[in-house]
Amino acid sequence: MRVYRDDQKFLSFRINAVLWGIVAVFVFLAGSFWVVQGVQAEKYRGLSEANALREIVIPAKRGLIMDRYGKVLADNQPAYSVTIDRVLLKPLVKADPQHRVKLITFLSGTLAITPEEIEARFEKARKEVSPTKPFEIAEDLSMSQVAAIQAQSVAFPELDVVPVQRRNYPYGTMAAHVMGFLGEISERELRQRKELRQGDLVGKRGVELMYDQYLRGRNGGEYWEYDADGRRLSEYAPARKQPVPGDNIYLTLDFELQRRAEQFFVENEMVGSAIALDPRNGEVLAMVSSPAYNPNVYSKRFSPDVYKIIQSNPFKIELNRAIQGLYSPGSVFKIVMATAGLSDNAIGTSTNFSCGGSAVFFGRRFRCWRREGHGSVDVEDAMKVSCDIFFYNTGARLGVDKIAHYAHLLTFGEISHIDLDGERAGLVPSTEWARNKQHRKWYPSETISGSIGQGPLIVTPLQVANMTAAIANGGTVYQPHVVRYVDRVQKDGEYKRFRVPPRVLHQVKLSPPAVNAVRRGLWKVVNEDGGTGGNARVPGLDISGKTGTVQVIAQHGWVKAEGLPFKYRDHAWFASFAPLERPELVVVVFVEHGGHGGSDAAPLAKLLYESRFREKVTNANIDLSNPETLEQIREGELPLPPSTP
Amino acid sequence: MRRLFPNLDLNFLGTAIVIAAIGCLLIYSATYFTDPSLKLFKRQIIWVLIGITLMTLFLAFDYHSLFDVAPILYGVGIAFLAYLLIFGRLTANVKSWIHIGGFQFQPSEFMKIFTALMLARFFDSNDRAYLNVRSFIVAMAIIGAPVFLILMQPDFGTAATFFPLVAVAMFFGGIRARVWIIMIVAVAIMLPIGWNQLKPYQKERIKIFLNPERDPLGTGYQVTQAKIAIGSGGIHGKGFKQGTQAKLAFLPARHTDFIFAVLGEEWGFIGVVIVLSLFLFLVVQALTFAKHARDRGGTFLIICLVSFIIFHVFINVAMQIGVLPTTGIPLPLISYGGSSTMMFFIAIGLILNVDMRRFVNQ
Repeated sequence: MRVYRDDQKFLSFRINAVLWGIVAVFVFLAGSFWVVQGVQAEKYRGLSEANALREIVIPAKRGLIMDRYGKVLADNQPAYSVTIDRVLLKPLVKADPQHRVKLITFLSGTLAITPEEIEARFEKARKEVSPTKPFEIAEDLSMSQVAAIQAQSVAFPELDVVPVQRRNYPYGTMAAHVMGFLGEISERELRQRKELRQGDLVGKRGVELMYDQYLRGRNGGEYWEYDADGRRLSEYAPARKQPVPGDNIYLTLDFELQRRAEQFFVENEMVGSAIALDPRNGEVLAMVSSPAYNPNVYSKRFSPDVYKIIQSNPFKIELNRAIQGLYSPGSVFKIVMATAGLSDNAIGTSTNFSCGGSAVFFGRRFRCWRREGHGSVDVEDAMKVSCDIFFYNTGARLGVDKIAHYAHLLTFGEISHIDLDGERAGLVPSTEWARNKQHRKWYPSETISGSIGQGPLIVTPLQVANMTAAIANGGTVYQPHVVRYVDRVQKDGEYKRFRVPPRVLHQVKLSPPAVNAVRRGLWKVVNEDGGTGGNARVPGLDISGKTGTVQVIAQHGWVKAEGLPFKYRDHAWFASFAPLERPELVVVVFVEHGGHGGSDAAPLAKLLYESRFREKVTNANIDLSNPETLEQIREGELPLPPSTP
Repeated sequence: MRRLFPNLDLNFLGTAIVIAAIGCLLIYSATYFTDPSLKLFKRQIIWVLIGITLMTLFLAFDYHSLFDVAPILYGVGIAFLAYLLIFGRLTANVKSWIHIGGFQFQPSEFMKIFTALMLARFFDSNDRAYLNVRSFIVAMAIIGAPVFLILMQPDFGTAATFFPLVAVAMFFGGIRARVWIIMIVAVAIMLPIGWNQLKPYQKERIKIFLNPERDPLGTGYQVTQAKIAIGSGGIHGKGFKQGTQAKLAFLPARHTDFIFAVLGEEWGFIGVVIVLSLFLFLVVQALTFAKHARDRGGTFLIICLVSFIIFHVFINVAMQIGVLPTTGIPLPLISYGGSSTMMFFIAIGLILNVDMRRFVNQ
């Protein structure tokens, strides 16, 4: 037996060295784990959750849009979509290479979509939807399609019929331009709104767009555990997020006024716009742009062609004429001229001009619309008979820049900041405009024709309504708005109401005698014999207004509108308010190629005043003050149909 | 035998059994979800029990008598490896399993013990402070023979586990400076030649080690998933049976090579430190035994066995977080597997054997 020897020291030393080396290695290992588990733990925790948990979005219910009394104009309807889960599809295709072809053939036959279109949707999803998320291949299935897909659930387990909420506009084209429509989120919107995801439906126009943040609510989510083969195991309940429904929105629109105004345009086959505005607070009671599109058609995911159809419509149905249509105001501008002349003391209430059918200014002869002339007229009578000569003289005394100043004060050439998208400012000409934009001199004779609303001046129907409202309420320019309340659900399930307050854009300093003279003149237009707006007269209702007829092409001589082809016919205006004392309603009607303001536009105004003041037509007889019951009425949960074995 | 029993180091033995028990718990946690019959968990308990029996067996005989039979054991081991090369069946592209009835084992695992015994026996009789060229070649040949046969299987990972024996032979056997220089030059020449001899999957493993982003869904997937498991455990861990990475099968080889990631996920940094401390205690204790051993053979036997343990622990733990490349090296006493569990219990038994017989006159 060999006994431990002389080199014991040698070995002990080396063992000790190795020992410390090993301690160092263990410290190094513990340090490395500290980096992963201590420093980077958050990063890996996120990765771990992403690994094991798949989010299934519970979409929030989009808020309702109602008229001012709670009549529902946009709600959500239960519908069915079919989705494809690529996590499940992948192993199936691996096992059976023909599976994909079978799937596409089946879908194509059941859904009546071409295989190419299905491939295109696959491709779109490949680019846009995370591969672990099921993507929608078709929406709005019929019950027979749902049954057909569920019958094949064994052959195609990757298909899933999911109940969804589809945006529904029960009255179709009703107030379409105010409501707007939904569409799939664009690249640009996606960059701007980080909280949204590819494939989300967002408001594209109108209130749906402007109030999208309110309407959309917050999506919830369920988190399900999946194993590495994509099998769904169980829900991870602690992570569950309940969706928060979107806010309900009450518009300022009055359903009956809106409906009647639209019906008037449709029945008379008219193109144009009408606005009913409350001059006391800027609430828009009706806003018509006719013809209108049907937002139900466009608020779908798979309808790229519909958008093209809308855009290519010769009547420009996408255009909201009330805020985007720019038209020459014609004689309606005489309201601005009278107000400007009186306020600036260029004319007085008793100033008279003699009208002989025509007059010469700056070496040119200008005609009155009435060949025979009106004789000697003061401001009130000039408005009543819409005498051009009187306003030529007023314009000559004021000059273009003063006219432009007052026009701007009365909202022309400015956007009104209404809560709708795409509002246009129009154009008010001035010497500065001619110099800076046209690079030319302003000719004084242009001021003369501009005095009766002709020339480069263009306005929107909403601007005319705002101007009329300012005259009606004594000079206050309100910011018009189409939303009255926003009802937001609180944590306790109760709704809290947020009112959209009236906002004053600015105050126009008008002397009371001047305003009163203008109002009296406007009253005479409708209520005195010989006035141009007699067609709007309602006995007992002091309606005041101004007609306007805009020549679309330069006409030599006097021609009857009916004899002209449609596109050369005159535009017709009627701008009005009632009652005379403490006005409550402004109505502006504009009919494109309508012919004559007095005969074509005024009758609609009359209809609306009657509805508002005579019938008191509202649907307030139903208690709609509780939107919660309303939601229960409108949106029942539709259970999945029993699957066919 | 009875008078030797009071010399048995119970702390060391206890630590080894605690580590094995932790291993069983981790295997349960890693497999209960995908394997509700708990087949693997129950088997591992049986392996541990067999391991403890073998450990007792290797404790019972004086290690000097084991030195006497070492050449026979070594020869039988070599014969098995040679048999495998000729008649072995391919399992996972490697001929490393021997199937006897329904039972299978890896002779290469046992060969580690036999080679360690053989080497210790050699150093017991070689009492110079430095190895001369002849004895150096003999030592290298003892290690080289099984390594060569295992490389032919080809099992790169297992062959590499014999490397610590080479280090032991050179560091503790004693080598002069000029031999070191010759060795380094030889390795520098052999390295490019050896690279060309590597299998493509081995080359790929090394390339991915150098650049882990290379293949996140292939071989790199394992490390990525292991790191996610460990990192997501944080300081405190997700709790016993709560690890989603392991439970939901995102983690490959989660009950064998990547069992430590399960520990990291469920028991957190605290668990990692505890288990590393247990291993460190085991190793430090064993090296203390080595210093106090009765003779040179005992010292070398412990050093050889400890070098195996430390090498396995370091390579396995380091590969969990991508510090070293992924190789099929199990974590001693913790990873699922009969051969490796038995091998390490035998090693524990032999270390205790030497320590128990440290007093010259007993």
